[in-house]
Amino acid sequence: MSARHVAATALLAAGASIEVLAVIGLAALRDTFDRLHVVGLATFGALLVGVAVAVRESFSLIGDKALATGVLLVVFGPVLVHTTARSLRTRERGDWRADIEQHREEDS
Amino acid sequence: MNQWELVATVLGAGLIPCLLVCALASIADGLIALEVASTLLSTIMIALSEGLQRQPFIDLALTFALLSLLGALAFARLLERDL
Repeated sequence: MSARHVAATALLAAGASIEVLAVIGLAALRDTFDRLHVVGLATFGALLVGVAVAVRESFSLIGDKALATGVLLVVFGPVLVHTTARSLRTRERGDWRADIEQHREEDS
Repeated sequence: MNQWELVATVLGAGLIPCLLVCALASIADGLIALEVASTLLSTIMIALSEGLQRQPFIDLALTFALLSLLGALAFARLLERDL
């Protein structure tokens, strides 16, 4: 068993563990905005699995695309989380900026 | 069964809680569960294409990741106005 194989297996196990942790978080957390945090966590699991494929296969057809998939998810994951949070806040309060000015005045 | 197929199976089991949250929790929680499930599915496709040595199948994972992001963004925007 080569060092590359061991590294790929370790990365795969780490990626899968992170995703399982994200699913546990999704099931265990009760508040909607708390649950939003696990979306970002899950994307890093996908990135680690993509890196595992790239380590095992080097920069080949599958290695490049697996890496691209992981990077795509990690880069656009926060955008998705932000958009979801903004939409949920707008849904709750009518405007996502509601109460922000009031909090600012209280702080100053 | 190699380690890639094992990981795909474990992550496939992880889709069940996502499905339950989608079905039983509020619509906002359902959207979050959908986002997590789409990430899980992309990872499953990566693991399966490597585990089964079907390298062209990796295109499915890449395409699915892109489309699921766009789909979730559309759902989030629609949810804002309660459509």
